[in-house]
Amino acid sequence: MKIRVDLDLCQGHSVCIEEAPEVFSVEDQADDYPKVKVLNFHPSAELQGQVRLAARYCPNKVITVIEDNE
Amino acid sequence: MKKIPIVSGAKPDTGHIEEYSANFVQFLLRAEAECGPLAEYNLAGQETILLSGVEAQEFFFRGSDENLSRAAAYQAMVPVFGPGVIFDAPPDKMKSQLKIQVDALRYQNMKNYAPVIAQEVEDWIADWGDEGELDFMDEFLDLTIHTATHCLLGKDFRDKMTAEFKTLYRDLEAGLQAIAFVDPYMQQPIFEQRDRARERLEEIITAMIDERRNSDIEYNDALATFMTGTYADGSCLTSTEVTGLVIATIFAGHHTSSGTSTWMLTELARHPKEAAGIVEELNAIYQQDETLSHNALREMPKMESFLNEVLRVHPPLVVLMRRVINDIEFDGHAIPAGKTVAISIFGSHRNSEYFPDPEKFDPSRTEPETMFAYIPFGGGRHKCGGNAFALLQQKAIFSALLRRYSFEIVDHSDSYVDDLSGMVLRPQSPCRLRYKRRVS
Repeated sequence: MKIRVDLDLCQGHSVCIEEAPEVFSVEDQADDYPKVKVLNFHPSAELQGQVRLAARYCPNKVITVIEDNE
Repeated sequence: MKKIPIVSGAKPDTGHIEEYSANFVQFLLRAEAECGPLAEYNLAGQETILLSGVEAQEFFFRGSDENLSRAAAYQAMVPVFGPGVIFDAPPDKMKSQLKIQVDALRYQNMKNYAPVIAQEVEDWIADWGDEGELDFMDEFLDLTIHTATHCLLGKDFRDKMTAEFKTLYRDLEAGLQAIAFVDPYMQQPIFEQRDRARERLEEIITAMIDERRNSDIEYNDALATFMTGTYADGSCLTSTEVTGLVIATIFAGHHTSSGTSTWMLTELARHPKEAAGIVEELNAIYQQDETLSHNALREMPKMESFLNEVLRVHPPLVVLMRRVINDIEFDGHAIPAGKTVAISIFGSHRNSEYFPDPEKFDPSRTEPETMFAYIPFGGGRHKCGGNAFALLQQKAIFSALLRRYSFEIVDHSDSYVDDLSGMVLRPQSPCRLRYKRRVS
């Protein structure tokens, strides 16, 4: 699995850090919305379920998950 | 360079403002049908170019703040939000304010809101009895001001809220008409009423801020977030700015959400089969989770597709605008600085390329791949920051409501139509529906 994020769309709603705190963090910006930071672009098998939920529930569709077979 | 076609019917001095004010939804549909992806019209001197189609809309949403200004296009909001707030603040301060505003709506704060909304619905329906008939446009205007103040300003404010507060909000919202985008300061009764309401709201909210500043109680609602939020230099917002953010946040969610709830209930009453499916879905969820938790609300496929279709057919905001600051170019057309560019959400949601048979209400539609066709909350970096709250609120309201009551239309189905007098679409009042208690 690979993870792609579109930072332009991120407003720091922070759903991802609730779903997959091992993979995402949200960092404050000087004069912009807080933005997601991917801590691990190739999450291990046991984290992948949480990552899919983070992508699914992100209100701004910032996170794209690319599965290995895609 | 190609020439941008001009919409027919312009009057010598005022351009298209008369037709636009009378029915801006139809005007924008006509503009696109007549001229195609770029259509120029004139609103009492403000030359505006409507950008239609997914490519043009993507161009609009991806435009940089340096080239396309929201603040310049939305000066009509300044007398509503107040001086120095959002569209009247310098760009860096505006960014900080929007950041503080969205902070109050982030997930970790939102988790507390679902049970609050459910409780408001329970209180609302407590004296309904077994059956009856109500004007739901009126009812939802009340309910959503209750939920918004309760979630954002806290329980103490909600408990003390008087009828005056609601009246003030209605007066404030009534001032937002097409003409306000031409000049929001001209002498007009609706604008005088708006300014009096804004002044009195500031008194009420400032008193509350002062009370909190002198108190030891710790709050964790949106008002607390606004009061502790800081600019890049570490300074706090002034009381006027905090008041402005409170007004702006409630304003953004009140008219829009109440209109959506009313359309949602009307469409449910018009589509009993789909409504029954949603109730079935709710019953299955509630068997496992008696209290309405945030988690339970996350997955409701039937409710969500129905809500998505309501927002497609009845998008609360019809048109979005930006003022062109530096000359730009789209598809071989020059768009000079000083003009306004606009997109029609209503028109986009009726694009038959993405929504076949667009007038048909069909919750089984699948969302298009592109992010720039279905745009009830706008798109790009300025997408509505309240989108997650808005959807959560609708799901919480209808989860609590539909398990208790079923609904039927009272008048002829075709008589439920949009009220086009304001800039935010909602059903025309009275929007009469009949309710009946469900027998479990």
